[in-house]
Amino acid sequence: MTTKIIELGPHQLALEEPMYFRVQLEGDRVADLDVLPGQVHRGMEHLVMRRNLYQNITLLERLCSLCSNSHPSTFCAAVEEVAGIAIPPRAEYLRAVADEIKRIASHLFCCAVQANAIGEIPLFRRVMEVREIMQRAKEAIYGNRMDLAANVIGGVRYDLPPEAIAYLYQAMEDMKKPLDELYLQFANNPALMARMAWVGVLPSEAAVECAVVGPVARACGIDYDVRKKSPYGAYDRLDFEVAMQTAGDVRARNLVRLAEARQSVSLIEQCLAQLPAGPLCVDTLPEIPAGEAIAKSEAPRGELMYYLRTDGSDFPVRLKWRVPSYMNWDALKVMLKGEPVANIPLIVNSIDPCIACTDR
Amino acid sequence: MHMQVEETTVEPVRLFRINTGSCNGCDVELAVTSAVTEFDVEQLGCRYTEDATEADVLLITGPLTVKARDEVLRLYAETPRDRITVAVGVCPVSGGVFRDSYAVDGPIERYLPVDVNVPGCPPRPQALLAGIGEALQIRQARRAGVEPVGRADGKGQEGDNFPARCRLSFDASVCVDCRMCRHVCAAGAIRFQEVEGGVRLTLWHNSCVFCGLCSHYCPTGALSVTGDWRLDHPAADAFAQVERGDIPYAPCSGCGEPIVPAAPQLLHTAFRRPTPEIDKLTALCPACRQVMSIGAPGR
Repeated sequence: MTTKIIELGPHQLALEEPMYFRVQLEGDRVADLDVLPGQVHRGMEHLVMRRNLYQNITLLERLCSLCSNSHPSTFCAAVEEVAGIAIPPRAEYLRAVADEIKRIASHLFCCAVQANAIGEIPLFRRVMEVREIMQRAKEAIYGNRMDLAANVIGGVRYDLPPEAIAYLYQAMEDMKKPLDELYLQFANNPALMARMAWVGVLPSEAAVECAVVGPVARACGIDYDVRKKSPYGAYDRLDFEVAMQTAGDVRARNLVRLAEARQSVSLIEQCLAQLPAGPLCVDTLPEIPAGEAIAKSEAPRGELMYYLRTDGSDFPVRLKWRVPSYMNWDALKVMLKGEPVANIPLIVNSIDPCIACTDR
Repeated sequence: MHMQVEETTVEPVRLFRINTGSCNGCDVELAVTSAVTEFDVEQLGCRYTEDATEADVLLITGPLTVKARDEVLRLYAETPRDRITVAVGVCPVSGGVFRDSYAVDGPIERYLPVDVNVPGCPPRPQALLAGIGEALQIRQARRAGVEPVGRADGKGQEGDNFPARCRLSFDASVCVDCRMCRHVCAAGAIRFQEVEGGVRLTLWHNSCVFCGLCSHYCPTGALSVTGDWRLDHPAADAFAQVERGDIPYAPCSGCGEPIVPAAPQLLHTAFRRPTPEIDKLTALCPACRQVMSIGAPGR
C-alpha cells in the first residue's frame, strides 16, 4: 500500500471558510491528518484589549457570524457578573429568543452544507429555503440577517412589540412542518443513510478523551448541554429535553441538530408566552468595577466560555474565550481515520467547524 | 426589483469567491445567493465556480489576514486578467471592526485593484445582487470599450418589507457634541474635527458595520439608522461614501465664548419638561453656568 500526503483547502472541502488540512493517506484511506489553522486569525484577543467594553459588544459579535449572538451575550454576562448586575427578566427572555433563533439558522446551515458536500443539491436548496424563514425573521426583528445587535451591558436593546410577537409566532408555526419533515429525511432517506450512517464515527470514549462539546458530544450519548447543566438567563424557567443520539456518526450529529432546531422553536414559543413585562436594560451606562468573572453558554456548536478581567477602567485587562470548535476539530483525527478520501468534506462539515471562532 | 442584465451570450458569468479571513457572515450570505431562489445569482445570468481560472467576477470577503495573504494572492494571480473585482462587506475596504490589528494586512487595495465596493456587515442578499449587477455593468462596458457609467441612483428602500439596519443618518441640529457615538463605535467609523465656526462629524460607510450602537447610545437621536441598503459604489468613490454634518458654535450668552448649545432633545431627556429658567442655561458655557447656579467659579 502506498503512503502519500495531500493538502486540502476550502475549495476542495466545500467550506465557507479557509481551513487547510494535511492528510496522510494509506492507499485511498485516511491514516492521519493535521489541521493547519490560522487563516482567519485577526488578532482578536489583542483587538478586544484595545477596544472599550461597549465597542467589544459589536466587535465580538463579528468573531463569527454563525454563532454571532452567543459571543456578545456571553461577554455581556461576564461584564454583568463583574458589576453585580442582575438583568431584568424581560431581557433574560429576549436574550434566549435571540440565541434560539440563531441556533435554528446555524444548525440548518450546517445540515445544508453537508447535503451540498454529498451532491444532494435539491436537499441543499430545500434546507436553505427553510432556513430563509429564520433569516427573514432576523431581519424583520433585529434589522440584520446575521448580526443581531441584540445585546448591551445590562440587558438587551431590542423589544418585541405585540406585532413582532405575532409575527414570530407565525414564523415558528411555519418552521414546524419543514423541520419535522427534514428530521425524517435525515433519519430515514436511504440515499442519505448510505452516505451518513456509520460514517465518521466518534466512539463515546474518544469523545470524552477529546472533550468534545455541543451536538458532536450529544451525538455520542454524552448528556451535556450548558442550558441544562448550569442554566443561565431564562433557561431555568423553560422546559426542554436535551437532544441525544448514541451512534456518534454523521447521521447522529445531524439528527441532534435537527431535533434541537425543533426544540428551539418550542423554546421561542415558551419565551413569547411567558415574556414578562418590564424594562429591557438596567442602566444605559452602568459602572464596571475592577474584578474578574467567567460566563458560559450553550452556543450552536457547544459550550462557549468567557473569562474577563477588568481594572475599573473602560478597557478589559484580559478577555479570553474558549470556543466549542477548538475541541471538536481535534476529534476529526478519530472520525477520519480509515475513511475514504471522498468522505473528508462531509465529515469535516459534520462537526460544523467554526474557523472564525477558533482562529480568532 | 429590476436587475435583469442582458447577456449577449448564453454562457453564464462565473463568480469566484475568495475568503481572506472573514467572520464568515458575507460568505454565508453569498451561499444564500447560490441556494435560495429569490436571491439566486442565476437571475443575473451568473453562476459560481470553484476554479479561479474561470473567474469573470471575483468576490472578496474578509479583512485580509497576514496568514491568508500569500494564498489569496496566489489565487488572485490565477484569475483572468479581465476579471472584475468586488469587495464584499466593509472588511476588504477598511478592515471594519478588525482594523488596527497586527494580524490584519488590509485594505485589500494595497495588493490588488478593486472595482466595486458593497458596504454592509454583512450586506443583505439584495445588496449583494446589486453589487454583482454593478460589476456586470462594468464588465460589459469594458468589453465594449466604453467608460462604465456609475450606477443608476435610487435608494434601496421602496417595496421592501423590512426596515433593515443600514445607512446611518446624522442630524447636526440636535447633536450636542458629546461624542458618545465615537466612543462606542467598534469600527472607528466616526470622526470629529474642529472646523471654522463649529465641529464636524464624519461617518464613513466603508468602515461602519451598521450595528447601530452609536444611535442606541446617542442621547438626542442625532444619529439614526435608516433602511437604505443601496450602498454599492465604484471603488474609486470609496471615500465619498460619508455621512457628514457641521454642528455650529454659538456664542455663550454670558461671556461670548463659542460653545455648542444643548439641544432641546437633551433637555427633555434630562428634565422631561424644561422651565424657561432651565432653557436659559443652554446658551451658557460651563463656567458661566456655574456662576449662574452657585455664584462663583469653582477654582
